[in-house]
Amino acid sequence: MFRKIAVAAGLMAAAFAAPAQAQSYPEKPIEFIVPWGPGGGSDTLMRIVAQGLTEETGQAVPVINMPGVGGNVGLAEFAKRPADGYTISQIHEGLLVSNQTGITELNWDSFIPVALVASSPQYLTLSKNDNFSNFEELVAYAKAHPGAVRAGVTLGGIPHVHIAMIEEAMGLQFSYVGYTDTGERIRALMGGNIDIAIGDISSAKQFVDNGDLIYAAVGTEERTDDAPDVPTLKELGMDAELVITRGVVLPKGTPQETVDALEAHIEKVMQREDVIKLMKNAGADPVFYGQEKYSAYLDKLNATIAKLVGKLEG
Amino acid sequence: MLDAFLAGAHQVFAFDTLTYMLIGSVAGIIAAAIPGFTVTMAIILTLPLTFAMEPLQGVSVMLSVYVGGYTGGLISAALLGIPGTPSSVATTFDAFPMARKGEPGRALSLGIWASFFGTVISTIVLIVAAPPLALIAVKLGPWEYFALIVFALTIVASLVGNSLIRGLIAGVIGLGIATIGPDPMMGKSRLTFDTDLLMPGLPFLVVLIGIFAISQLLSEVEIHGKKTNQALIPDVIDFKTWKVMREVLMAPVNLFRSSMIGVLIGALPGAGGSIANLLAYDQAKRSSKNPEKFGEGCADGVVASEAGNSATAGGGLIPMIALGIPGSAVDAILMASLMVHGISVGPRLIMDHADLAYGMFIAMIVSSLMMLVVCVASMRLFLRVTDIPKQFIVPTVIICCVIGAFALNNRVTDLYLLGIIGLVGYGLKSLDYPLAPLVLGVILGPIAETNLRRALMSDPDWTTFFTRPISAILLAAALLSVIFSVRSILKMRKKNRPATDEQDGD
Repeated sequence: MFRKIAVAAGLMAAAFAAPAQAQSYPEKPIEFIVPWGPGGGSDTLMRIVAQGLTEETGQAVPVINMPGVGGNVGLAEFAKRPADGYTISQIHEGLLVSNQTGITELNWDSFIPVALVASSPQYLTLSKNDNFSNFEELVAYAKAHPGAVRAGVTLGGIPHVHIAMIEEAMGLQFSYVGYTDTGERIRALMGGNIDIAIGDISSAKQFVDNGDLIYAAVGTEERTDDAPDVPTLKELGMDAELVITRGVVLPKGTPQETVDALEAHIEKVMQREDVIKLMKNAGADPVFYGQEKYSAYLDKLNATIAKLVGKLEG
Repeated sequence: MLDAFLAGAHQVFAFDTLTYMLIGSVAGIIAAAIPGFTVTMAIILTLPLTFAMEPLQGVSVMLSVYVGGYTGGLISAALLGIPGTPSSVATTFDAFPMARKGEPGRALSLGIWASFFGTVISTIVLIVAAPPLALIAVKLGPWEYFALIVFALTIVASLVGNSLIRGLIAGVIGLGIATIGPDPMMGKSRLTFDTDLLMPGLPFLVVLIGIFAISQLLSEVEIHGKKTNQALIPDVIDFKTWKVMREVLMAPVNLFRSSMIGVLIGALPGAGGSIANLLAYDQAKRSSKNPEKFGEGCADGVVASEAGNSATAGGGLIPMIALGIPGSAVDAILMASLMVHGISVGPRLIMDHADLAYGMFIAMIVSSLMMLVVCVASMRLFLRVTDIPKQFIVPTVIICCVIGAFALNNRVTDLYLLGIIGLVGYGLKSLDYPLAPLVLGVILGPIAETNLRRALMSDPDWTTFFTRPISAILLAAALLSVIFSVRSILKMRKKNRPATDEQDGD
């Protein structure tokens, strides 16, 4: 009832003064371009956010999957859309890597980062093998046998960056084998076709609990609730953060009021209990970073990736 | 165990679950019957609806869509000569000629029964042998996958049609098409000439619709261009449902072999219904006493291709239920549906959620029964399609194809590609190039490339392909398959030469 009045009032106000428009935002459905295929991590999490936004704003938020070229196809289309707040999209660390390796011209600052909403801690995961069964043993074995440890990564993708960070910090040398998604990598770990990979809770926890795989370390600041026995990389003497975060972005040129309004809506969505529960079930930590904090995070990460880019090519 | 079984049965046989499953079954069949709409799409659309359901209820509904979808592709394959889904390419080879010869009812019945028995056989294998099969499937490395694809490429010999050379050229074109776009390992652009059109590559489904649907529809216009009012299949229709069931069961070897191929291919993560469909057809043709009848409306061909693709449904669940590893894109969506309910699908699923696992077995059987009932009851309705004058049906199907191709990735450039590929397909078809080898090349090319590169990255020594036993066996099978095909082609040629004056390009 009140919402209807607010919308009506907003419509009237919009007719007279442009700045008032933001208060009524959104007054029609918002298209949510998810630049990845259906069923993946981004898709599942963003559908949860879209559902929350629908309930919070009363406007439909249809998710449109536009996969291709590591998210680049959807984001390129998104960049062309009018900057009026009625098309939103999503990015994650992969975009920054694709930019550095020259796959796309777009980077995080080609858009306005509105809010970071989900963070998935990444775990260094080991196969069951005779040579090492924890982080220290892995480091010792890899030092003694350079190039012998096979790491499954998405070549030129964020898992590649994560493994390269460990390689560099510990002075090791792995050999890389290309796998395109986490599910494939975990399968290869199970079959013993690779020795280490980056995994997360949703893809690997069951196997770790069952004793088929080993979490050697987690890339968060503190130990996680999901796997409290797993040491952080920090405890193991490495200063690096291994997480995949997903956040909502708007096209450059969107009016600041609209950006603020969307940010406020998302903040409320991220406080909803159903959203928090669904996201946790999907294996991600629901978080909320507003515009400034999100931009600062992306900026810092970009510098880290730029430093490692030489390792990612070839 | 009995408790868990009963608990699962109790949930599946609830009235509302069965109602939703029935709707799911119909939805799956319809989605798959429309060229351009896939089972995967139908299941993705079902996914958000299952969030509000009980976990087992949600999965049962998705399984009914899945099972229905593996059969629905048959309908357009038999009646229009267009594979309704990527898994029904081989179904067109014999079901369509059979329908054109005035037996569309028999073609549909054969396919429906074959699908039903294929699903049931695959579910039985799933129940009895899931753990050991899943362990083998996971142990297979890139070497074995590459060898399997090499073996699968030899199917081309069965698909060449009138000329071996033209068939091989079509296969090579397919492999070439598959290299356009981002490479499967690094995402680097290849052969895109910096155009937006080619940047995302040629999606498999767009190629499939363009090559089969557009070209087939264009030739419909061409063949009967003078009598536009004519229906696609003008004759009176006879179903013979029960007679056909006996016919299917009277060839148990073919049915069983095709189903087992489906199960095994389905159990391999990353392979899928489209490969099983073609491989089962190929094996049926090779072991048949009358291979020359294949392609002209042979019942064995319809049974093999439909049992093969439907059996991948149960096969795909093997690694998922036994180990928590999805065997296909659809299984990954099933797992996502369970995950949002807080159930992690993993190696302990059968132990921790036995009622769910048993419930899924029951749901598979119930889904296949539902599919059977729905199909048999509505077959007459499907056949109405054949009564519709062509000037209505051809544009309608083209519109469906275009919508389906767009809905896949929401990219307008895919539609331009669809048009271009459709014209190329029509051109190739007019020049008597077989289209199936081309599609096979597009399916297998990326899998072969990925696994070859992966194998050599894991171990630069290429002799590993021959020292790993399963890989060596598959490569030997590929070699034998080529020798066998060359021999039989030479034999056929000898036999045919005096009788016909046909001038072949080779």
